[in-house]
Amino acid sequence: MILRRLIPPLAAILAAGAGLAVGGDALPLAQIVHALAHPHARDIAHTILWQLRMPRVLCAALVGAALALAGAQLQGMLRNPLVDPYLIGTSAGAAAAIAVALAFGVALSLLPALGFVGGLAASLLVAALARRGGGIDATRLILAGVAISALLAASVALLSVLARSISFQLTLQAWLVGSLAGRGWNDLRFALPYAVVGALVAIGNIRSLDALRIGDLRARGIGLDIERAQWSILGSATLLTAAAVSLAGMVGFVGLIVPHLARRIVGSDARALLPASAFLGAAMAVAADAIARSVIAPRELPLGIVLAFAGIPIFIIIYLRREHRR
Amino acid sequence: MIRARGLALERGGRRVLDEIDFELRPGEFVAVLGPNGVGKTTLLRACAGFEVPAEGTIELDGKAVHRLPVARRARHIAMLASDELLADELRVRDVVAIGRFPHRPWWKFSADEEDERAIAAAIAATHIEEYVDRVFTHLSSGEQQRVWIAMALAQGAPLLLLDEPTTHLDVRVAHNVLELLRERTKNGTSVLCVLHDINEAASVADRVLLLGCGRMLALAPPDEVLASSLLDEAYGIAMHRARTDDGRTIVVPAH
Repeated sequence: MILRRLIPPLAAILAAGAGLAVGGDALPLAQIVHALAHPHARDIAHTILWQLRMPRVLCAALVGAALALAGAQLQGMLRNPLVDPYLIGTSAGAAAAIAVALAFGVALSLLPALGFVGGLAASLLVAALARRGGGIDATRLILAGVAISALLAASVALLSVLARSISFQLTLQAWLVGSLAGRGWNDLRFALPYAVVGALVAIGNIRSLDALRIGDLRARGIGLDIERAQWSILGSATLLTAAAVSLAGMVGFVGLIVPHLARRIVGSDARALLPASAFLGAAMAVAADAIARSVIAPRELPLGIVLAFAGIPIFIIIYLRREHRR
Repeated sequence: MIRARGLALERGGRRVLDEIDFELRPGEFVAVLGPNGVGKTTLLRACAGFEVPAEGTIELDGKAVHRLPVARRARHIAMLASDELLADELRVRDVVAIGRFPHRPWWKFSADEEDERAIAAAIAATHIEEYVDRVFTHLSSGEQQRVWIAMALAQGAPLLLLDEPTTHLDVRVAHNVLELLRERTKNGTSVLCVLHDINEAASVADRVLLLGCGRMLALAPPDEVLASSLLDEAYGIAMHRARTDDGRTIVVPAH
């Protein structure tokens, strides 16, 4: 069991190594190691590594870890394996905010912040609609999330039809398929604090998530304050998802698939599941981003598409085949 | 222990129970009987502090149950609700260990020695040693019920509330589960248990709390309740009484 718990962090380290090693310009391993060991050197390898690849790898790791952590918590809270962090409206809200901003010609550098605010606002609206009594009703949360997301997606489509500008559509498209193209230290600096707060709240949610495994009513019976636990989980998931969306747009599948894979590897105990999900999510996003950067270099594939093509077959092989054997 | 005075309860805005007065003594087994929809589960939920009384009070050692902090309440009252199924693969030992939740401060993630002792004792008391390492959802209904009871025992609460713990169980397994609960009352644990089978309730309980027509019709030893016409009134059906070889009264619906 202890050995299995080492798999996710090892996967993340391997993926980070690969992410630093590959890219548009081939760098020999010796140069990479040298640049890593001497962060203040001033040669070209150093610049590529520290100004381009390192922030990209860290951004991808943050996106993957945040989405997986959000997904693991929401799946645990709702005890529904189909739940995805995008269910709570964050991504649709971010996309709508960005579409409106683009339509009004707002500076591109402001988009991540606007996406964050839009995502947060949509999640709050979904949570408000899902409220019942002091807590959150699982069915209402799912229905409200689907409804608000569909409405916002329709608004984005409407703006896209009305805008008729190619640059609008290309920028919007990059957000909708999920991409880390052009992301650097500044973007990371913006998103990191929210992700860190979300992750700290997630650590505080571990006990509740463990108790929730036996059902809401029974969890109440053993002394869990269900309402507080639900708001805390929703708050953490929203912050994490908004941070991820502000960096990379709508990167799909990680939040849905990674918690399942992590559960296969370490079980459903939240103490092991949350860190495993974070490491595995980071590994998957970093590896996918490395592929996205290198397959048709110097051009890039969108991260979301690589993740779909690489992640879903892995998911089918590992998860669905195991199901079959049981 | 727990005491209700002038208790009235509502469900979905509608008054279901009125003027409930009872007190549960330490080490007592009280079975709650009554027709479907009369408010048995609502009463149990109120005892667990999940429902706010519409009128009257329900108190644990003199304090309103629904106002107690949740974790503190859970150290005194273990409620075994019939709830949705488990979504993921929990092992039996994990389920029992979750019962220690109210004894663990938020900064502690793992079980300490006292937790381990309580878990081991609960497993031994419910005789589930042979399947502690199996996946919970792979067990039979009877085995699962034992595990839930083990979880409630690990919780270490002196009051156990159970909602139909013998539903779906065959007569032997149901008997075993009730005997197990009966055994717990010997060390002072009180049991308040909703049951459907009148004769089953009569065979195990010290007293029967009979609900009918929106109120408490009786709280008395089983033989008295079974002998009285209140039973017929509660269920709205005529009952025949008979004596078993060992002198107990049993009831069956009259044709």
